[in-house]
Amino acid sequence: MATSLTERYISATITSLPPDAQDDVRAELEGSIADAMEARLDQGEEPTSAEREVLTELGDPAALAAGYADRPLHLLGPRYYLAWRQLLRTLLMIVPVCAVLAVALAQVIAGASIGAIIGQAIGVGVTATVHLVFWVTLVFVLLERAGADTGPGWDVDQLREPTSTGTGRADLIASLILAAAGVVALLWDHFIGFLRIDGESLSILNPGLWPWAMAGLLALIALEAVLAVMLSANGRWTVRLAVLNTVLAMLAMTLVLTLLGNGLLLNPDFLQTVFIDNGVEPDSMRVLGILTWFMLVGIPVWDILDGWLKTRRDALR
Amino acid sequence: MSESFDTHLQELRRGTVVLACLQLLRTPGYGYNLLEQLAAHGVLTDANTLYPLLRRLEKQGFLTSEWNTEDTRPRKFYVTSAEGMSLADTLSTEWHDLTRSIASVTDDPGTPEEN
Repeated sequence: MATSLTERYISATITSLPPDAQDDVRAELEGSIADAMEARLDQGEEPTSAEREVLTELGDPAALAAGYADRPLHLLGPRYYLAWRQLLRTLLMIVPVCAVLAVALAQVIAGASIGAIIGQAIGVGVTATVHLVFWVTLVFVLLERAGADTGPGWDVDQLREPTSTGTGRADLIASLILAAAGVVALLWDHFIGFLRIDGESLSILNPGLWPWAMAGLLALIALEAVLAVMLSANGRWTVRLAVLNTVLAMLAMTLVLTLLGNGLLLNPDFLQTVFIDNGVEPDSMRVLGILTWFMLVGIPVWDILDGWLKTRRDALR
Repeated sequence: MSESFDTHLQELRRGTVVLACLQLLRTPGYGYNLLEQLAAHGVLTDANTLYPLLRRLEKQGFLTSEWNTEDTRPRKFYVTSAEGMSLADTLSTEWHDLTRSIASVTDDPGTPEEN
């Protein structure tokens, strides 16, 4: 009878219990099962069916063992769930995006084909997300099993003020100062020059941009300032303003990238004097060019997304 | 009975098994015997809930246990400890308070007691 159903049932139950509790639980369960079977036999039941019935009533040995060991029957309980969710949300907003951008940048610099860049970026994005979810969850599951503290509980001071969506007076002033600084920088670069080489001023931007392309850049800056005023007057982001913001950002990006791509944006004399004459290799120049591209694409894309996110947030208010 | 009824009934019964065990075990008893006593008194519980519960209460110091090998088979007898009796008294008092509160809510829902 070494492998009777009862014997197998008890073994399955105690195998996951702490060693010092195993013998005690085994002896007690043997007694309890025998008692229950005896009661059924007294009522005239068959021994085999009585055993099956008693064990069926006791249910899954894993559940019984969890009861004995006082283990939770869930992966993550209510005490840890909210902390887990908040941390995961925060990390998911930051880490995969950074990983994808870093890989894309590295691939572009390495001269990979567009297919390889997209493939690698997607692959890394998926891998980073899966790893993040897995490891964060694992840590929380272990924390719950170890009975660790979840840190300070919630208190009313954590209630968020309605987040400013950048339509206040301070934001308007900041935008206007930034626009003015942009205009001054463009003019200063052309008429006075940030650099003086051998007593001669050297502009960073291509002097050939004057007057038409430069007029376009200045006009875009002016339009951005107008948009800032409209935002402030309106008091909140709307779909119309977000569309306007998108159009402006796209125009600026297209203009600057077209000029850069055709080698018209920067002053060739400036590049020659500052970089190539100082021994910067063509390879390094290429990397610098790519970094400039990423920045010139990244800033408008961020600006566009920012506008739409704030529109959504304002719509919910 | 509908499933949502069952959930609410379970919620209400949770905890009554602890109180019933502490009261019954003022005289020593063992697992299966206690299960039968509970059933006879109309306290519904399953063997797979009761057996782990007894060990848990013992671990928390509300029950003490002793192996008895004089019977037909060795049995682990549990008895309510001094601390367990004090817990039973506290739970009983709470139970009576709840009964009174529920009765007051049921009989006269219009005028809440003034404190």
